[in-house]
Amino acid sequence: MRILADMMRAIQGEGEEGAGPTKILYAANLSHDRLTQYLDELIEKELIKEANPESDSRVYFLTEKGREFLREFVRIERFSEAFGIEV
Amino acid sequence: MQADLLSLIRLDLIFESISGLIALIVTIYATKAYNLTGQKRLSDLSTGFLVLSIGMFGRVVGTWYFIVQFGLDGDSGNLVISIVTIAYGASRIMAYVLFLIATRPPRYRESINGNNMTGVSLLLATILVDQSLEVVAILVLVGVVIQAIINYSSSRSRYALYVLVGFFFILLSHIQVAQTLINPGMYLMSQFSQLIGFLSFLVLLYRTGKENE
Repeated sequence: MRILADMMRAIQGEGEEGAGPTKILYAANLSHDRLTQYLDELIEKELIKEANPESDSRVYFLTEKGREFLREFVRIERFSEAFGIEV
Repeated sequence: MQADLLSLIRLDLIFESISGLIALIVTIYATKAYNLTGQKRLSDLSTGFLVLSIGMFGRVVGTWYFIVQFGLDGDSGNLVISIVTIAYGASRIMAYVLFLIATRPPRYRESINGNNMTGVSLLLATILVDQSLEVVAILVLVGVVIQAIINYSSSRSRYALYVLVGFFFILLSHIQVAQTLINPGMYLMSQFSQLIGFLSFLVLLYRTGKENE
């Protein structure tokens, strides 16, 4: 869950430009295989979308559902860490 | 005097009910967090607040049942109050132990027995918690507060401060209730301190949702 959230934060951090795979890879500290796996999972859950699937350059954006999820995750993260519990 | 004590009880039960409600809200949120993250300690935290909430509402209901059913006279109220106070004390200790587990980094009272209790003593019996349970609760809570201090010292986050303040005031409420026989006014103070503690948790829930929205 933390990895997915880190990936989404990396995407959100790029704003309207969206984030490419390399940016997400370094932000979430992942291997290439894991990155692909998690990106597919995020797309399947409709938390992110690819800007232009046919294009060679891949750029990802958060969906509205993804933004909502990230807001909730951040809130849960703050709540948990207030009690000294890491998520 | 008895009328004053009755007023006292109504107010303390109101405080207890509000605290119980806040504990329930924290339970719901911690459960939601556990469902999302799978972090087991959140489940422990949730269970702790749930047990606390049930204990508090149980005490409110039990106390009212005692007053309505038995009034201020008679021995038969003794068993009801004994059960309520022991169940209440035990539930709090259970909750505090769960808090101790979840957040790890990592009295002086006259016993309720005898056949010649006055109405005032019976009324006081609905206020006090079994002293030996109270001592255990205080010891466990000291551990919880220490862990909260460690967490705040390392994170320096305002959210951790709300948690520290919350547990501190709950600890304070237990220390105050232990002095109730010497100074009856301390009882309401203890209920008020407990309420402040739970309000701090409520503020935590509110602020975690509000920041940077």
